[in-house]
This record gives sequence, C-alpha cells and structure tokens, in this order.
Amino acid sequence: MTRLLLVAEMTGRDLWRRRAVLGLLAVMPLAFYLARRDSTGLAVRFLSLGLAWAISTAALFSGNAAKAVERRLRLGGYRASELYLGRLSAVAAIGTVLALAYFALVVADQDLTRNGTILLSLLLTVAVAAPLGTLISAVTPRDLEGTLVLMTTIGLQFLIDPAQSHARLLPFWSNRELATYAVDMTDDGYLRRGVTHAVCYALALAVATAAVTLIRLRQRRHVQVVVAPGSR
Amino acid sequence: MQDRNLAESMAAPGGGPHRRPVRLQARGITKTYGGRPVLSGVDLVVHAGEAVAVVGANGAGKSTFLKICAGLVSPDSGEVVVNGRLGYCPQEIGLFGFLMPDEHFTLFGAGRGLTRQQARRRGRRIAAQLDWDARVRTQVRHLSGGTQQKLNLTLAMLGDVDVLLLDEPYQGFDRGSYIDFWHHLGQWRDAGKAVVVITHMLDSLERVDRVLELSATERSGR
Repeated sequence: MTRLLLVAEMTGRDLWRRRAVLGLLAVMPLAFYLARRDSTGLAVRFLSLGLAWAISTAALFSGNAAKAVERRLRLGGYRASELYLGRLSAVAAIGTVLALAYFALVVADQDLTRNGTILLSLLLTVAVAAPLGTLISAVTPRDLEGTLVLMTTIGLQFLIDPAQSHARLLPFWSNRELATYAVDMTDDGYLRRGVTHAVCYALALAVATAAVTLIRLRQRRHVQVVVAPGSR
Repeated sequence: MQDRNLAESMAAPGGGPHRRPVRLQARGITKTYGGRPVLSGVDLVVHAGEAVAVVGANGAGKSTFLKICAGLVSPDSGEVVVNGRLGYCPQEIGLFGFLMPDEHFTLFGAGRGLTRQQARRRGRRIAAQLDWDARVRTQVRHLSGGTQQKLNLTLAMLGDVDVLLLDEPYQGFDRGSYIDFWHHLGQWRDAGKAVVVITHMLDSLERVDRVLELSATERSGR
C-alpha cells in the first residue's frame, strides 16, 4: 500500500509540474461549457465531455511517460498492480479536483435543483476517463497514436446521436442520461441508466487496463530469480 | 546463417571468481527479430566478483541479450538464472523528466524496501562516487545528458544489488567521469558484485575479467 501511494505521489508530482499542460487541460472543459452556456443541458453535457477529454489525455500522456520507467521499477521490486493503481489513483485525484471545481462553477452559474446529479455525473466522468486514457496508453505505442485514438473516441461521442442504440457503446454515453435527468427533471430511469452505464464502463476499462498492464509488466518465464528482489 | 559464438577470451585472474557463487547464468539464448536471427545459442556464466564485457558490432544483439538477461525481453529459447538482486542500467535514459533526483531515489528505493531517507542517502552516496552532487533540486529534464546518465546508473545500483547489467552506461560522460566509471566498476567487482557491461571501447577490456563477443550474423542479401 505504501508503495502504491508513493507511485501515486510521484505521478501526481510529475503531472503537477507540467503546469502549461495542466492549465490547458483545465481550460478545455471550461471552453466547451462556455461554447453552449446558453443551453443548460448542452452546457452541462459538453462540460462533462470536455472533462472526459482532459482527464483521458492526462492519463494517456502520464502512462506513456511512465512506460520505460515502469519496466525498471518492476525489475526493482514493484508489483505491476502497484504501478498501475498508483498512476491511476493520481490521475483520478487530479480529475476529482477538476470535477469539484467545475461543479462549483455549474452551481454558481446555472439554476438547477438536481445539483447532486451534476456532481455525480462529473465524478463518474472522471472514473471512466482515467482508465480510458490509461488503457489507450497501454495499447498504443506512442503519444501520437494514442492521441488519435482518443480524439476519435471523444469525437464520436460528440457526433453520434445519443438517442441511437449504438451510442451506448461509447464510453461517455452516461453523460447525456445524467444531464437529462438533472436538467430536464426526467424520471429516475435516466439516472439509473446513466449510473449503471458509467459504473460498468469504468469497471470494464479498469479491468482491461489492469490485464494489459499485467501482461506488459509480467515476469518473463525464461528468468528464474533465486533470491527474489525485496526479500532481503 | 552463422551462429553467434560465446568467446570467453580471458580467464578470470587466479581463478578466484570461480570459487564464488554463480550470480548470472544464461543458457542457449536465441532471439529472432522479423525472421532475422539476432542471437543464437548464447551462453554466459558470471560469478560473484567478476566483470564481463559484452562486445560486438552494431546490431549484434548486445542490448537485446542484456534485456533478455534482465527479463525485459523474452527469448525464443533459452533461460536465465539470476542468483541475487539484479540492477539494470539501460542504454536509453528511462527517467521521469519532471521529477528531481531525490524523488527518483525515493521511488526506486521503495521497490528495494528502502525508506525515503535511506534511499536518498544511498542514492546521493552512489552519485558522489560518480563525481556528481545529487542534492541539487533540479528537475531531471534540466540536467545534462551525462548527468542524467549518472542518475540512470545510480538507480541501477540502489538497494545493494548483486548483479549489475550495464548497457553502455557511460554515454555522455566527460572524460574524467568515463575514466572514473571504469575505476568504480573494478571496485564494484572487488566488492563481490557480478558485473556485465556492454562496451564499444576496446581500450577498456583490460578492466574486465572476460569478454563475451557477439559476432555479426550473415544476413540474406549481404
């Protein structure tokens, strides 16, 4: 646990010192929000998608920056799960801070009664976006390829009509359900579907990312270590 | 295709190391990339207190062999037995550019079971041996290439390792640091570590006990 927290701490420090990048990522949701501020429902939904894009991107770049180092850390005694969960925790923590900040903005700027759902929607967005970016990082070789995959994913999220059934395959479909529930005061079905979709997607992404990471950082079968690292 | 040969050209002085435990044993390592054989049946045994240089032309598979020994790359066949803790210094610098040297010591040291203070103390001490004051509060990306490589090497040695795999670890070193490196390599060996170092510098071969030469492979079309 201590080592997991240390990985999270160092990932957080590494991200925090990329001030320009963090600033740009933090502004992205705001830009999306302001672009449709005139329409509360769209403003809230686009804010979530902007947050999703920002956090996924942070997770993607953090994952790629850590790839070479993680192999050495694994060799130096870390478990693959400590490296994966530590990095994911750091990205999720930064995402949560952003989500809280934007929640405060929405509460101050819009006249909504179901504010709790807005907060829930933003937090679930972070819960999906962090493993999504991490997974894309794990399965693509470099930043450019990962960025293109992420842009395509988020772009489709904007372009595909969320009312269509296949839109549910997209990772942030839940945003629309939750935004509709919060803004249009619809029935509980929207809330239930949104939460279920987001939780299932977050879990699936986290499990898939864990699997890919465990394979990438696996102990190779041809090596037999007589005295295991960390045993002394 | 021509098999690569294990050339143990120099016997260990006095036969001393052979009375010590085997720290690294690689047997029948074979690796093919894209249908091209890179390594074919390479063997290597390194005892405690022994230094071995791996030499060969560009593309001879030196780095691949070391990565296989470190467990970072799987061979097509063959096996590696490591007896003790292993430290690996890659040729390419694998560091967090936005973290400071002390933070690297803390992170890498924790994997070896060191506390923050122990890791910082040991890291700074090893760095000082390499003629580098690692107490600087500078992000790694602002360090010179040679200093980054010193950090790279320091991290490989954190935690009292028994086997050191070094892939041209002196890249970017100035002349004094380069000479010091070979001097320290002798000290690490004398302290009982098993050291395998890839080098192109033939003038440094007298500093090691044995040489593993990976010969060039005949390739189709050549």
